[in-house]
Amino acid sequence: MTSAPVAGALPAAVVRDRRRAKRKAAWRRRGLVLLLMSPWLVGFTVFFAYPLVMSAYLSFTHYDLLSAPKWVGTANYRYLFEQDQQVWPAVKNTLWLMVVFVPAQVLCAFGLATMLTRARYGAGVFRTIFYLPALAPTVAATLGFVYLLNPGTGPVNVVLEHLGIPTPLWFDSPQWAKPSLVLLGLWGIGTMMIIFLAALIDVPRHLYESASLDGANAWQRMRWVTLPSISPVILFAVVIGVIDSLQYFTQAYVAAAIASGQAASEGPTSAGYPEDSTLFYPVLLYLQAFSYFNMGYASAMTMLLLVVALTVTVLILRSSRLWVFYAGARR
Amino acid sequence: MRRLTLALAVLGALLLAVFGANARGGQDARAAKEPVTISFWVPFTARELGVINSALAGFHKKYPWITVKSTGNTNPTKLTAAIRGGNAPDAVALFETDTLGAFCSSGAWLDLSSHIKSDKLNMNIFPKTIQNYTAYENKRCALPLLADAYGFYYNKAMLAKAGLKGPPKTLAQLSAYAKRLTVKNADGSIKVLGFNPLMNWYQNSPVHFGPITGATWMKDGKSNLAGDPNWAALLRWQKSLVDWFGYENLIKWQAKAGDEWTSSNAFESGKLAMNLDGEWRTAFVKADAPNISYGTAPHPVSKPSLYGSGFVIGSIMGIPKGSDHEDEAWLLLKYLSTDSKAVTGLSLGLRNVPSTLPTLRNPVLRKDPQFKVFLDIFANPKSSTQPVLKIGAQNQTLFSTFISKWQAGHVASKDLHAGLANVDKQIDAAIGQSGQVP
Amino acid sequence: MTTVEAAAAEARTLERRKPPARYRRRQFLIAVADHSLLIAVSLMFLAPFAFIALTSLMTNQQALSPRLWPEPFQWGNYVDVFRTAPLWRYALNTMLYAGLATVGVLVSSIPVAYALSRLRWRGRDTVFVLVLVALILPFQVTVIPVYVLFAKLHLVGSLWPLILPNFLGDAFSIFLLRQFFLTIPEEYADAARVDGCGEIRILCTVFLRLAKPAIAAVALFEFLFCFNDFFGPLLYTSENADNWTLSLGLAQFRTIYQVEWNLTMAATLILMAPVILLFFLAQRAFVEGVTLTGVKG
Repeated sequence: MTSAPVAGALPAAVVRDRRRAKRKAAWRRRGLVLLLMSPWLVGFTVFFAYPLVMSAYLSFTHYDLLSAPKWVGTANYRYLFEQDQQVWPAVKNTLWLMVVFVPAQVLCAFGLATMLTRARYGAGVFRTIFYLPALAPTVAATLGFVYLLNPGTGPVNVVLEHLGIPTPLWFDSPQWAKPSLVLLGLWGIGTMMIIFLAALIDVPRHLYESASLDGANAWQRMRWVTLPSISPVILFAVVIGVIDSLQYFTQAYVAAAIASGQAASEGPTSAGYPEDSTLFYPVLLYLQAFSYFNMGYASAMTMLLLVVALTVTVLILRSSRLWVFYAGARR
Repeated sequence: MRRLTLALAVLGALLLAVFGANARGGQDARAAKEPVTISFWVPFTARELGVINSALAGFHKKYPWITVKSTGNTNPTKLTAAIRGGNAPDAVALFETDTLGAFCSSGAWLDLSSHIKSDKLNMNIFPKTIQNYTAYENKRCALPLLADAYGFYYNKAMLAKAGLKGPPKTLAQLSAYAKRLTVKNADGSIKVLGFNPLMNWYQNSPVHFGPITGATWMKDGKSNLAGDPNWAALLRWQKSLVDWFGYENLIKWQAKAGDEWTSSNAFESGKLAMNLDGEWRTAFVKADAPNISYGTAPHPVSKPSLYGSGFVIGSIMGIPKGSDHEDEAWLLLKYLSTDSKAVTGLSLGLRNVPSTLPTLRNPVLRKDPQFKVFLDIFANPKSSTQPVLKIGAQNQTLFSTFISKWQAGHVASKDLHAGLANVDKQIDAAIGQSGQVP
Repeated sequence: MTTVEAAAAEARTLERRKPPARYRRRQFLIAVADHSLLIAVSLMFLAPFAFIALTSLMTNQQALSPRLWPEPFQWGNYVDVFRTAPLWRYALNTMLYAGLATVGVLVSSIPVAYALSRLRWRGRDTVFVLVLVALILPFQVTVIPVYVLFAKLHLVGSLWPLILPNFLGDAFSIFLLRQFFLTIPEEYADAARVDGCGEIRILCTVFLRLAKPAIAAVALFEFLFCFNDFFGPLLYTSENADNWTLSLGLAQFRTIYQVEWNLTMAATLILMAPVILLFFLAQRAFVEGVTLTGVKG
């Protein structure tokens, strides 16, 4: 590194050269950064910034991709908030996912991970078994579950009938369609479970020991040692879960198409089957944008989704200050 | 001397251009032309695609310089994506007319009026219903590719076993027959169903059932579901039958019913005694379940004056925007919709109703008694089709969603009118939002 | 030994002193209860696989009936599946998509992650926040204009709209790699700098080697994501059956190919098999990768 020149010790030419060299180095570094970042710069602009601005613009137009967008002012938003009767069910369904499915996921992942830590023998085998379903491609798992939960001939109902338990209609019933999707989602909880498992193992043992010495029982140990220690991971799981529920599409779309058994299986006739119970916001958005090609209106729906996503994420992150405890280095 | 030769050459070229152009501009000109290949997307698959291909071979014989490359299994979603993506074929056919409004109004399908005029094609060669569903607000963007009529299929053996004579003709009779023909398992679940009153299954949909009570969708450009009492009558009849079977029992039976388009089709495999279906089912039964003893008839109706009519629709063909070979595509469309030999051949092969009035009267097609029924349904003046709207079939989807709540018992009987009025409101809002001028 | 088993072993050694018999009995009963619960839950997790497998071996009539056990076993179903639907073509498309996308993601995200973690420059933290924002927002927010863009470029109907964006950086991969690069001590880079390496050579020689687990994880995740992707192929290739991927092909299976439930279940298993196989071959990479996301996330 260059040291501060002693007064009068260095000739002006050397100082000038050094400064020029420093500037050149700085430019070289900027060039390097630019080179390294160039893919992201282009990608971000073309595939994120520009579409975001474009979506906002399109939301004020009527656009079906064949002719130029036609400006209609706030007509799309008026239709969205006042007239489209499919929007409120879609919003409710997505909110249901956030409120029911996300906690269920976190609880299930945490529960399974805890069970794994208590396994003395064959923990690796059990871990593999719990993780395998998460590997199944989404479409495959959905198809499998729709078949398994077939109200007439599916194995689940066959077994339930043998046991004399009343059999719900699963994917064919508006009350049970979403819980069926939750079951499908919980079956694939493996990834989140592994993350929780790693976090649980990382909890310092001495904390548990001192807690036991202080007379804490199992519940208290969990409440005061385990949960705070893994709270960053819980936050991570909640944020991921919420983001996923705001984007939830494939399982709902495929399950509705297959369960409805209609001739034109996918597409507007079956989305949301039965009775709009699986019509989640992203599904409705897809219909409006790519089946009806109401791209202007769909862009308005997108803007609403954007606002909700930002709000919810910020709320969760803000609230995390209250309950998330970062051991060691502060973020 | 050189200048003379040059002048002669130019004159010769001019003459050639003038007369050559005349030859090219002629209608069914057989003059030497550039061989051209056009792409034709059709919704057919497997066996039916083979039938289309033989018709295309006939077209090639008539216009030897045009080769048609067909691609099967297309549907409106695919076509819409292709047109919007700039990859549209030269000509296309679709099973349903749902997207015609959107395609025609936006220019996605070209207006054929100029071709019709220059070829002097008389549209009255087609029945009125066909003329109705191939145009949107006076712009004719499609020609028919055969047509479909919906009627009633009944298993003769099962009816005979139950001691019932002939097909039911009224809705009351239909209900009675349905109850008599249902066979239950030991545990109370349905083994053989007489008739499935649930909508949104196989071909059961409000648009197909509307004509049996004479219900109409639109009036003066607005949705008329609440205004037309026939819809309420249809829904109440349907619900009473659903309640008799038990909604959950029907759902469970449906879940076992098998795929509509395969040999485990419920009617073909003997799980269903009577069914509403289109005329093409005769071909499927012949191929999949030839031993079944069945009969066809017009669908039972609410009023005797309506008997003999039904829902009619047809496949349509059009030329998408961006087609590179518009003239050749037009020749193909004209051939497949009006050439008697082609239409008859297609009708026999696909077991669809022919599109032109002269071919409807062809005795060759009327030989099969089960198929003849559908020809008569198609020709019946009371038969009706669905309105061509810019929102396509969205009105049907919105109505179907309401019906799925209604038939599950989630809408009280006294709220039916209010519910229908609400669906009207949704449909009108959607039409308004789409920019269609009523 | 895995970390779980290591922890369990450590627990065992701590109790080497023989505790009183009553205590030992209680511990034994607790262990039995724990393991019974684990076994029960494992059976529930494995049951769907078992039923799917059984159904795939039935005839179509049996698949539609309440029977649970196929009779006879129709091993031929697996052959029929390939005859009925062009699964090989779908598999090829899927491999093309997943393979190229993974390469693209690695090539474009590693330099970006390096620049975000090891170099200091103005605006670095803002850019990182932008990366996070891109990660958090639902993808539907940008999907329409991107589709319009690809439509105008006449690329709709092919797999290119799915592959190309990955060559311009992927937010998740950048995030993961950056977090990992942050944990590499500066000494390695300093040593290389002393030897006269330029930054890019440092990146290539030092970091690539040190970050192999993270890179493997990123590659694995990207590959899996593309393999499982349904929305992307649905949106961009549904009109052109030649370009369908396995996920899309399977979803269309029932109606297009007039296939029955038994064949559909066979196809489902065929689709699940390669991923599960990949897992068993690369178990450590999987688990480490998943752990990386969570712990560093």
